[in-house]
Amino acid sequence: MDALLAGLTILVIGDSHMVTRDYLITTLHDDLMAQGANVDSYGMCGANAGDWVYPSTVSCGKAERIGKEAPVINRAPSTPTYQIDQVIAKSHPNLIVIEMGDTMAGYGQKDFPQGWIYQQVHALTGRIAAQNIPCVWVGPPWGSEGSTYHKTFDRVKEMSEFLSTAVAPCKFIDSTQFSKPNDWPTIDGQHLTNAGYKAWGADIAAALDQIAPRPAAKQ
Amino acid sequence: MIRSIRRVFSGAALLTALAAMPQGQGVAAEGRLYPSGPPNGVAYLRFVNLAPSEVTIVSPAAKIVMPADDAHRVGEFDPVTPGVALTGSAQLGAATKPIDITLTANEFVTVAVTTSGDGISLTVFRETPSDFNALKSSLGLFNADKDCAKAQLVAGDSHQTVVADVAPGATGRRLVNPVNAELAVACGGPAQAVPAKLDQLNAGDRYSVFVIAGASGPQVVAQRDEQAPFQP
Repeated sequence: MDALLAGLTILVIGDSHMVTRDYLITTLHDDLMAQGANVDSYGMCGANAGDWVYPSTVSCGKAERIGKEAPVINRAPSTPTYQIDQVIAKSHPNLIVIEMGDTMAGYGQKDFPQGWIYQQVHALTGRIAAQNIPCVWVGPPWGSEGSTYHKTFDRVKEMSEFLSTAVAPCKFIDSTQFSKPNDWPTIDGQHLTNAGYKAWGADIAAALDQIAPRPAAKQ
Repeated sequence: MIRSIRRVFSGAALLTALAAMPQGQGVAAEGRLYPSGPPNGVAYLRFVNLAPSEVTIVSPAAKIVMPADDAHRVGEFDPVTPGVALTGSAQLGAATKPIDITLTANEFVTVAVTTSGDGISLTVFRETPSDFNALKSSLGLFNADKDCAKAQLVAGDSHQTVVADVAPGATGRRLVNPVNAELAVACGGPAQAVPAKLDQLNAGDRYSVFVIAGASGPQVVAQRDEQAPFQP
């Protein structure tokens, strides 16, 4: 794999798609490192964007992986949230990748909670913009319909379309463009199989190759 | 956050919420007026004091005092639980009006307090916006002037119409490019337009322009919208 991201220090944050060993905290993290980037990854299960800004707790675990180290998974039933300012101060990234969408899309709710989602997103992107760090937001994959998560393809599409206009100044990667509905099977309606996380991680890394800022070339 | 309204939960959560409450710079705020937010769905409620003197809003859980200066007269949109009757009262001097309002999910409701013949009047503006956009600015025009039959938000020397023909008690909203435009509100001919000072509009931000009856014609209050964070 080419070192297309050499010179970048990438901070990846996300939701439960980052909180199990074989999920994006491994696949995406490895793919970005393989392209030459320094990578730190953090995930919080069930967290909304605002949870990275306003201190709270998460009830289904969090995980972190620093550089080449192995992921550290914390499954404590109640644990304080990571805060974006703190993880930025620790990693000093020159690119932040945010993987988030499923926790905020209002699956099972009749109406799409646009105003609330926007507030969540705006709080996080505003905090990142205040530090002048480029960012890329990765939207949710299709998942599967008919589960207890009440995820539907229509709502995923609606969420992805909304995020595309809501995450500025971050750029947006639309994960629904990587596959067709039902292409990537899930284990529970929302979380992909290991093969799915490999494919999703590789597709995100490839998309980042196209849109990530390039460090200044060495003379 | 200057215009924040600190919150107080009702019942058993009251003491816990008070203990955890940060000391903000609220609008002489004594607490949270109503419980809020997901997982029960969410709607947003704010109060605006368009009267010439301070207004007190009282709920079963708390009360807030809203000053009448432009920097503090527009409250934040506070997350509240939809489908539940929110009751209380608004007080302006010795005059009182009851509040009894139920919001639907994702609704943004503005309760504007103005003076009237019996001392106080409440105007409820209801919006369910679907124009949240980080690349644009959203301009809302709220007509609280019964004498202004068709309020218009206009821009520039040519008074180009931005929001047209908003009836008393109604609101209009439009996405615009984030620019530094000279905005004004007209109730009749453009020559009588009243400036609405918002300066540079920021991408992703939302703004409210209120038109109210003044002694010598319409008056305007213009502010950037603030949305209080939902915190469980």
